[in-house]
Order: sequence, then structure tokens, then C-alpha cells
Amino acid sequence: MSFDWSVVWQHRDALIAGTATTILLTVATMAIAVPCGIIVAILRLYGWAPVRALATAYVEFFRNLPLILVVFWAFYVPPILTGLGLSPLATGLAALALNVTAYNAETFRAGINSIRRGQVEAAMVLGMNRVQALRRVVVPQAVRRILPVLASTWVSLFKDTSLVSVIAVTELAYVSMQIRAQSFRVLEMLTAMAAIYWLLGYPQAKLVDWIQRRFAITE
Amino acid sequence: MDFDFAVITDHWRFLASGVGITLLLSVVSGLTSLVAGLVVALLRLYGPRPLRVAVVLYIDSMRAIPVLVVLVWSFFALPILTGLTMPPFVAALVGLTVHLAAYAAEIVRAGVESVRPGQTRAALALGMSRAQIVRRIILPQAIVRMLPAFGSLLSITIKDTAIASVIAVPELMRQSETLAGQSFQPIEVYTFAMLVYFFILFPVTRGVDIFYQRVAHLGRS
Amino acid sequence: MAAGAKIIRYRGVIKRYGGFQALGGVDLDVHAGEVVCLIGPSGSGKSTLLRCTNGLEAIDGGDIEFEGAMLPRDERALRAVRTRMGMVFQSFELFPHLTALENVAEGPRTVLRNDLVEANRRATAMLAKVGLADKASSYPSALSGGQQQRVAIARALAMEPDVMLFDEPTSALDPETIGEVLSVMKKLADEGMTMVVVTHEMTFARRVGDWVAVFDTGRIVEQGPPTQIFDAPTTERTRDFLSHLGWTG
Repeated sequence: MSFDWSVVWQHRDALIAGTATTILLTVATMAIAVPCGIIVAILRLYGWAPVRALATAYVEFFRNLPLILVVFWAFYVPPILTGLGLSPLATGLAALALNVTAYNAETFRAGINSIRRGQVEAAMVLGMNRVQALRRVVVPQAVRRILPVLASTWVSLFKDTSLVSVIAVTELAYVSMQIRAQSFRVLEMLTAMAAIYWLLGYPQAKLVDWIQRRFAITE
Repeated sequence: MDFDFAVITDHWRFLASGVGITLLLSVVSGLTSLVAGLVVALLRLYGPRPLRVAVVLYIDSMRAIPVLVVLVWSFFALPILTGLTMPPFVAALVGLTVHLAAYAAEIVRAGVESVRPGQTRAALALGMSRAQIVRRIILPQAIVRMLPAFGSLLSITIKDTAIASVIAVPELMRQSETLAGQSFQPIEVYTFAMLVYFFILFPVTRGVDIFYQRVAHLGRS
Repeated sequence: MAAGAKIIRYRGVIKRYGGFQALGGVDLDVHAGEVVCLIGPSGSGKSTLLRCTNGLEAIDGGDIEFEGAMLPRDERALRAVRTRMGMVFQSFELFPHLTALENVAEGPRTVLRNDLVEANRRATAMLAKVGLADKASSYPSALSGGQQQRVAIARALAMEPDVMLFDEPTSALDPETIGEVLSVMKKLADEGMTMVVVTHEMTFARRVGDWVAVFDTGRIVEQGPPTQIFDAPTTERTRDFLSHLGWTG
């Protein structure tokens, strides 16, 4: 058994480009999914009944589907239905954003709900209106509870970007597997792929731990 | 635009076998990762220092590496290292177990650590040994406390089996891909697959919630 | 154990947590059949002394003698000693996954290795003793605080200890239920049980205690019979403490 690890170095440009795409996808997805998640959460908490039902249905639907299926569905179905074809990258981004928005909506909703009623009442008896109570009392506390979960979702998202490789988006997983197919250096490339994800993901996981310790709730 | 769901009914056996493999892989890898996770957690909580360090490294690594990568590595790279060839289902089982056991271990650890220290003190005061305390007092309460997290992990397990399609395991996702490709009817096929997954996953999460409501008081000290 | 024999002897007991000295040399004797009450401000070391008595905490200096022998350091020997001491906690610490009967039977079953029938017989008898025979199959979550604490007392009694240690047994209870727990404790005292009680219930200490030790910052500032401590205290600290509590005798 001979291993040729130089193949990793030879293709470093492609791997770096793939890694950049992975990071881009992660950042772009969160940039969409955080505001959208807030909107959906607010609709779920404060909207009229039909709006609440719709928002809940959306969240429950996407939380109970495998992401890889959503990616496939997003790639094959809209072009037939609407005649529009998005690039694989855009499609992948859309699928990821739909998925993560649902999780974020649940995170925001649970975070806001976890603030005891008494807090809002205490704010109101001081003379604050609903908006002020929300802004100055509920949101600061909710942020403390939401941030750790959001950080955890971020790391999961980072790993989930690998799934859009199935529709040929040129992120890290796809690029690695292409190089593997072309060079026949299976063990080297797959191990390199795992190693790069590890190098990027491990510090992120540790950062999440730090955030969770820092924002730990002690009541 | 007309939808022809005959493609589903014509090939229901093909799809049903996919559902069967999905369920089988979910249940088996769920069980193996549970057992492996328990062992890993106990090593982390009560094992000697070098073992504990190795375990923490393993757990944190699984938080960094995607399931897809673990599965692909298990199927394509592991045989090169070990000289053993594994059928796709076995490779998927190995990959899923290795990945999910790390999460299971964290759930067990969190559950055990969440039991009040007063419970240990009360049991010590009665004269119980450490082993007796873990077995009879800590674990029963911890297991109840772990239920919601394990329900969530089961849901993740079922979703992760769909990724095994990438290494040609004939579960539902793979069967759907094949059928959609051959029939040129991706809308019907993938929509059907979505519904099947939803109707498997939704009851699982709801069921765990309801079961937990009933037994939560057994874990509240 | 002959009446008047020293069950527990504390000699110069010292306990440190890092730089903080929780106990700075405690001398105290507990005789058979006596009810010794430890009173004093929060953080003065009373609970710490109790936890050192059954080895939940290890002491850093001095000696603790139990029934004539030094308290062992070895965990196995310590376990054997613990079976002869019963402890009741402020937070009850009933095992939530077991019914009241199972909680009380747990010690006999697991530690004394009684068979199920014998353990249940003991447990039933103890539950009856604390007045909760009808709650045998209830889970702790269905019981009031006072009921839970009485089950906890029954659990400790089921081991047939030579001494009962109470760590602020009524501090976490609603006022209505404090009485039912104190009645059980008085009954035990009347039956001749040796008891060491950390408490803020001064009326109980005055009426049921045979000996009272006043703690302050890790030392005993005064000890004596209740008549002395409550009616004619000899130290400034004791007087301050009692007046702080609004004690008017």
C-alpha cells in the first residue's frame, strides 16, 4: 500500500476555493436565516391565528425533513414548475436558508417564551408600553439564551453545507471528491477532506463551548 | 401541468423497500450509537485521565466533521486501510454509529451531571457505595432527564440515514433518486418522499414529547 | 450503649475550604440519648460539622470519635460507619424515581442486603411511625414538603442508626408543615434517640434539646443546657444572636 499525499498539495488551489465556497455558503445562509428566523418567530408568537398556523406548519415541516432531500427537491422541482433555473450554488443556498430559518425561528420563539411573564409585568407596572418592555427587558435576556443555541446551529450549518455537494456545488466536499475521482488517490483525498473540515470545525465547536459557558443562565 | 402519481403506485414495492431500509438503518444505528455512547460517556465520567482526554478529542472531532464525510470515508477509505470490504449498509452503520455515538455520549454526560449532588450525598449518608449510587440512584433519574435529547437524536438519526444514499445504500432517498431519474418525474417522486419522511419523523418527535411529559416527575429531584 | 456514654466526641475539629476556614477548632461531646442542638448564624459552620461527622467532608485537623473509635478515612470503613448514623437534609433529597415505600426500603435493600420482603416490612413500619402509612405508594412529586421530610426521616430510621443527624430539617418547609416534622422529631427524642440537630427553630431547641451549642465563624462560642443558653447566656455573642432573632424567651 503506497500513499501519495502530495496530491493534496498539488490541488491546494481547488481545495482552498472549495473551502472558501463552504465558508461563503455558511455566512450567506446565516445572513438570510437570522432575520428570516426572527420574522417567522414573531409571526408565530404575535400573528393572527391563520398566520400563526402557517408559520408553525413551516417550522414543523422543515424540522422534520432530511436536508439532503430538501436540496434535491429544490434542485429538480422549481425549474419544472416555474421554468426558472437557479445555479446550483443559489439552489443550495436557498435550500440551506429554508432549513436553517425554520430552526432559528424555533430558537427565537423558545428564547423569547422562556422569559418569565413576571418580567414583562414588572416592566409594565413601571409604566413601559409593550414595545419598550420587549426592547429593554425581554430582548436583552432572550439574547443571552438564544446566542448559545445560534452558535450551535452555526456549527451544524457549517457541516450541512457538505450536503449541497450532491447537486454539484463546488464547495469543499464536492471538490475533494472530484479530485479523488480524477486522481484515484482515495484514502489521501478523503482523509484530507476530513482533516480540513476538522481544522475549521474544531475551533468553531470549542468557541460554541466557550459561548455556552459565558452565557450560561444561573437563576 | 399535470401530475401523474401512478409512478408512485407502479413502483410502490421499490419505494417500500427503501422505507424498510431507512427504518432498519435508523433503528440499528440508533441502538449501536446508544450503547457506544453510553460506554464512551462512562469512560469520560469515570475513566483514567489519558482515556478521558482521548474521549473528549473524539467527541469534539465528531462535532467538527460532517456526517457525509464520515460516511464517505467509512465506505471508500476504510477498506483501503483495513483490507476489508464492507457492503454499503454496513459501512453506513459503522459511519453513523461512530458519528452519533459522540452525541449520545454528550447527552448521557449532561444527564448524569444534571442530577442534584444532594442525591449523591443522601445516598452516601445511607452507606451506599459509589457503584451502587450510580446504578440505583443517579442513572435512573439521569435516563429520564435524557429522554428529550435522545428523542431529538433519534430524529437526527433518521434524517442522517438519507445521507447514506450518497454511498448507495438502498434506503428511501436513494430509491427516490433512482426512480426520479428513470421516470423523469422528480416532482411526484420527491414530493412523495418528503411526505413519507415527514410522517415518520413528526410522530417520533411528538411521541417522545408526550412520553416525557408523563415520566418527567421521576427525574425531578 | 450505656446511658451517658459518649457516642460522638469532637476534639479540635478543623475544616478548610481553600483559604477559608469553616471550622476553627470545635470541641463537643454527644452523649447517648441526648438531643444536641447546634444554633448560630448562617455560615457559622454548623452544617459543615454535621457533614464531617459522617465523612461526607473530610476534616483537616483534630479528631472525631464515634462510639469509641476514630472516624476512618478509608471509604469502605466509612460506609460501614454511615450505616450507624442517619442523616436528614434540608432539601429532603428523596429519590424521585422511587415511591415513598421504595425510598424508605432502599437502604435496607441495597446496603444492608435485606431481601425484598424484610426491607418492605421495615419500610412499612417506619412509614407508620412517621404517620405516612397511607402514602406508601406515592411518588415524592405527589407529596407536600412536610410529608417528604417525614419520609426522609423514615428512610434514615429504617437503617436503625445509633444517632440521627438533622441538617436544618425544617428550613425549606412552609410554616404549616414545620409542626408535623418537629412532632416526629420530638417523638424520636422522647424514645431516647441520640440526635444532633442543626436548626433555627429556637422553640424546639429550648423544649426538646438537652444540650445547645452556639456557633459563630467556625467556633463554638458557648455551649450548655437550654436553660443556660436561652435564659441566662454567658457570652455577648450568644446574646447578640438571640436578640437578632427576636428571642424573648
